[in-house]
Amino acid sequence: MPTCTGCSCLCPDIVIKDSKVFNACRKGSAIFKHCKENRAEPTISGEKVDFGKALEKAVEIISSSEKLAVYGLDTIPLEAQEIAIKLAEKKKAYIDDSSAFCLGDFVEMVLKGILPTTTLDEVKSNAYVIFYWGTDPYNSLSRHLSLYTYYPRAGKRQRGYEEDRYLVVVDVRKSHTAKLVKKNAKFIKVDSDEALIEGFLSTMDGKAGKYYEETGRILKEMQRGGFNAIFGGLGLKYGLNGNYEKFVEMVKRMNELTQVYFIPAGFHANMRGFNELMFEKTGFVNRYSFESKKSSPEYEFSELVRNDSVDTVLVIGSDPANSLPFDVLQKLREKRLVLVDPKKSLTSKIAEVVVPSAITGIDQGGTMVRSDGVRIEIEPLWEAEWTDEAILKELLGEVK
Amino acid sequence: MPITPMEVYKLLPKTNCKKCGEQTCMSFAFKLINREKKLEDCTPLFEEKKYAGQLEDLKRLLQPLEEATETGLIVDEELCSGCGNCVVVCPVHASEDPKGMGSGFGPTIDDPILRIEDGVVKVIEMMKCRRYGKNRVLCVACRENCPSDAIRFLEG
Ligand code: SF4
Ligand code: SF4
Ligand code: SF4
Ligand code: SF4
Repeated sequence: MPTCTGCSCLCPDIVIKDSKVFNACRKGSAIFKHCKENRAEPTISGEKVDFGKALEKAVEIISSSEKLAVYGLDTIPLEAQEIAIKLAEKKKAYIDDSSAFCLGDFVEMVLKGILPTTTLDEVKSNAYVIFYWGTDPYNSLSRHLSLYTYYPRAGKRQRGYEEDRYLVVVDVRKSHTAKLVKKNAKFIKVDSDEALIEGFLSTMDGKAGKYYEETGRILKEMQRGGFNAIFGGLGLKYGLNGNYEKFVEMVKRMNELTQVYFIPAGFHANMRGFNELMFEKTGFVNRYSFESKKSSPEYEFSELVRNDSVDTVLVIGSDPANSLPFDVLQKLREKRLVLVDPKKSLTSKIAEVVVPSAITGIDQGGTMVRSDGVRIEIEPLWEAEWTDEAILKELLGEVK
Repeated sequence: MPITPMEVYKLLPKTNCKKCGEQTCMSFAFKLINREKKLEDCTPLFEEKKYAGQLEDLKRLLQPLEEATETGLIVDEELCSGCGNCVVVCPVHASEDPKGMGSGFGPTIDDPILRIEDGVVKVIEMMKCRRYGKNRVLCVACRENCPSDAIRFLEG
């Protein structure tokens, strides 16, 4: 069955019949529906050339670069990411993906064992209290609740959400997901995530702190459930502003009472894959320099471009021109830019060379890492001649 | 907004003439909304000129009935993100397709009540809905768990 690579849920049950897409959410079905539209073409300085010429030019630009940044990588399979990392190593380049401004911190804490974690399959079969903290999966990870957490009946949780699950939504506003909070559920509207964390800690100390009623009830439910999961999102990350100690302490203390696991809510299809490969190789998950052999906030892609730390940029499977602040975009235009991507985009408009690639799950296969760390083999619907893996292999072999 | 019997009643002739086969205009209003009666069954409305204005208003009010499925379930595809909550919570799906929809996946049966097609919800086999037919129950599970109010019921 086709797998959707629209987000890190990697939904495995997509059906395509009579040119209709079944079971994928709106975002996912669009990938299948429009897979042939707006495809990138090989270009040099905006002029269409044949594929070989574009690839040759890419080799030339990357070979002549002194300070290279490799960026993107979150939508391509592990096999291709691995080669891109080797290329960065060969060129003593910087390498980064979107995770620095996404949930890279959470992935890192999970990989380091600072936060105990589990799989979505375990959550589906066992979890009782399910937290969505600082995330609105309805909008970005649409099937998260229906396929993996709150709604499915599985394993020990056969009686459905009303009896066998307890939903907790923590957010600064009443999100779409928060609207699902009815009976056997709590929505906590927070001004400060830290205050709620303190609230949980106080309750566990037997003191009545802020949010006393909510935390008391939720802790009781967690003990009743015996297996509980917290999905943390961008709201939690930015709410804590890099100070995760209290949160880690809270999870640890909760684990003295019952089992609680943490899973990053979700992100681009294979962001976690990139973080894992980098972690295995370097001990860091992102923002890495193979020259200085360390990770640093200065090596975040937008910073590298802003500070003119690079002369050349290789973007793979991403459209940074669409998301960078205007001043950084101006800087990016001054760099030599090679793009490997399956679709036309703002970045393809400004790239010096465009090497068209394939879409994972459509015309290339490979392995991707779901948000919970489970590796998923993805079968393509058909094989493109030039996959990310084939293009990057060529670059790695030819580049000086 | 669901249509209420009171709104309908206010626009009927309110003479309780029984020509529609009902004892009162109010009970006719109920049956109209449940689609057990048609507006045409109230013949005075169409025959007597003085009701022409009310007739137009009634037609406008009852317009959504035409668009709704026979269970009174209306889906607004524009609002739907294809999250699948409605498909998975449906108790009929859970009992008929425990390994598929009941477990969070797409349907493994050919005739689900609802399924996600091209990223939005579609009504396929409404006859199976618990709101349908003589022994109906007032199930609201799919609507209750739609975060974007893409599902509505006519009767509320
Ligand atoms: S939830 Fe994510 S993986 Fe699943 S269908 Fe939607 S976009 Fe695709
Ligand atoms: S036919 Fe019309 S006016 Fe007469 S009882 Fe029925 S609804 Fe009322
Ligand atoms: S009303 Fe109940 S039975 Fe009918 S489709 Fe919705 S959830 Fe299923
Ligand atoms: S629950 Fe609502 S948004 Fe989700 S698939 Fe059903 S109708 Fe669409």
